[in-house]
Amino acid sequence: MKNWMKSVALFAALFGITAGAVAADAAKPAKEFKIAMIAKSSTNPVFLSGRAGAEFAAGELSKKYAAELAKMNYSKIVIDWRTPPNEDAQLQAQRIAQSVNDGVDAILLSCSDAGKVNGAINDAVARDIPVFTFDSDAPQSKRFAFYGVDDIETGRQTMSEMAKAIDGKGKVAILSGSQNAPNLKKRVEGAQTEAKKYPGIEIVGVFNCVETPQDAAAEVVRVTNAHPEITAWAMVGGWPLFTKTLLKDIDSNKIKIVSVDALPAQLPYIEKGLTPTLLAQSCFLWGSIGVEKIVDKVILKKDVPVMNKQELVVVNKDTLGKWARQLKEWKFDDVPEEYLKLP
Amino acid sequence: MQRFLRSILGSQQSGLVMVILGLGAILAFFAGSHEDKATGAMVNNFLNAGTLLQVATDASFFAIMAVGMTLIIVSDGIDLSIGSIYALAGVTMAMVLAALPPSVSPVMTVFIGLGISLGIGLLCGLFNGAMIVGLNVHPFIITLGTMWVFRGIAFVASKANSILVPQPLTDVAKCTLGLGKALYPVPLLTMLLITLLGAIYLSKTVMGRHIYAVGGNEDASRFCGLRVKRIRIGVFVLAGLTAGIAAFLGISYYGSASCGDAQGYELYVIASAVVGGASMSGGKGSAISAMLGAILITMIRQSIRTLHFDQNYEWIIIGCAIVIAVVLDQFNARMMQRRLANAAAQARVQQMSSAK
Repeated sequence: MKNWMKSVALFAALFGITAGAVAADAAKPAKEFKIAMIAKSSTNPVFLSGRAGAEFAAGELSKKYAAELAKMNYSKIVIDWRTPPNEDAQLQAQRIAQSVNDGVDAILLSCSDAGKVNGAINDAVARDIPVFTFDSDAPQSKRFAFYGVDDIETGRQTMSEMAKAIDGKGKVAILSGSQNAPNLKKRVEGAQTEAKKYPGIEIVGVFNCVETPQDAAAEVVRVTNAHPEITAWAMVGGWPLFTKTLLKDIDSNKIKIVSVDALPAQLPYIEKGLTPTLLAQSCFLWGSIGVEKIVDKVILKKDVPVMNKQELVVVNKDTLGKWARQLKEWKFDDVPEEYLKLP
Repeated sequence: MQRFLRSILGSQQSGLVMVILGLGAILAFFAGSHEDKATGAMVNNFLNAGTLLQVATDASFFAIMAVGMTLIIVSDGIDLSIGSIYALAGVTMAMVLAALPPSVSPVMTVFIGLGISLGIGLLCGLFNGAMIVGLNVHPFIITLGTMWVFRGIAFVASKANSILVPQPLTDVAKCTLGLGKALYPVPLLTMLLITLLGAIYLSKTVMGRHIYAVGGNEDASRFCGLRVKRIRIGVFVLAGLTAGIAAFLGISYYGSASCGDAQGYELYVIASAVVGGASMSGGKGSAISAMLGAILITMIRQSIRTLHFDQNYEWIIIGCAIVIAVVLDQFNARMMQRRLANAAAQARVQQMSSAK
């Protein structure tokens, strides 16, 4: 670069910085009550549903508590989505710190690794930014409350529904995701503990997969081919059912699947009979309840219980229509029309 | 004064500094502001101590490893395993520290942690270097393999658990040094120190010049009597060492280690070196530029959030920045060759005319 160009560029940069500083001085106070939402991964549909829930609640509560917000000089509640594209706890910790520096009013967080984000949560709380966790907790941090399912109970319920589906006897494979996800480990533990109650059930093994639909479905097909004795799959996460592959690759007369999660793409598995039961986490509520609890604490100055347990919803052929309509209400736009018409 | 300014403007890093300043100015201008909860004063969303230090902290872990990566790239190599070395060094350190008896003093705990992290980094680097030289296989292949091997060892050893590190380590990495609440300058200072050491090593020592020579022309270096194999092993050892330092700092700062740490970071580290001007064909690169490259990439990531752009564009923007940097580098090299050829032709014409 020629020297005169460098001088012009340097001048422009210095001018920009000065102008920026002047603009900062002249700027007006922020009037939005900003909640930074940091979920585990922005490519996972369950967290996108959580985001929809948070944005919905932000809109509703802005209207409902307009007077209370105005008293605190806020015009409305907004959600600032700061979820990393992939699961990365270090990046989550960085985004918590960035959110605090950017002046958000509260943080809504699902922890990829509690050990990594404890420090960042405590720093945020030390600067008067309340932190609420959902889905995956950081119990050793100073977060004020948590909302989510009990993972051990989720694992137990998955296995007990499985036992019902196969009349208490069969060779069951357990599918889990990332080996270092603490919530999935607890679910597997719960499923294994529950299986001991049924003498006729034999666990063939716990199989981990990459948490993407294609990789997970490929793993299920691989394992099923390698272990023809398998009569059932207990899935502590529903990744493979986001594809349609297993509808063709697995014979519903020989194998049954019970899985956590019941998003629109997974519903055909119930209709076709391969999956008698799905255990739905109401992921929309992660966001909406999270925002409600933050508003309760910060705006309405109410006491919020530390542990807020989420119940799993049992979705089967009898409840398919009701659940499909619930999903539609929660802004899922890919719910198959035929399920909406079911009783 | 004019001479000083001219030397700064003419330096290798001036272009990157300009870009960083320009981006900083844009961010400061468009960032908006918020009310500081503690003081009630209006604060620019980018131009505030917390955010600037946060950007430096986020960049520091990449930048420290990028200094090591620059040594490798200058020697015409590549290391895809640097993120895995980070994970293995961190997990090993955390496991050993967790097994220490409570009677060990905090100072001793920190030194043991530092020693283990650096030691593992060094050993992994030595293993990489020895394999590359001993088997005479391209570094890309060997480090592609060790990337999985090192992470696999970390996985098996830790049983995929996240292991908390003792508080004294976090106290060191998050020491405020009198700056005030939630301002932690240790990663920034470590990054500056490692960059300075890397710059001195590369530009002011004989060993550093040897790396440029080997990367520029390996055969010529061999005929000149340089111990090429030893130099190649040396750069991988030093890169492993920087990964160990980054692991110690990063794991201590965030408070826990797991086998999934620094997954995919090798690409950011290589990108930092390349955006900083290191040539993938060897013989060119600098530690300071690598640090600036890491800061620029971190600022690009920061800008996406500060300016409220859709964060899904982050990968596209970083990818474009790397491609542009490499294309500019090649264009610059071609222009330089053309200029040298023109100068040589002119000199020949002058010689001939003066001979007549």
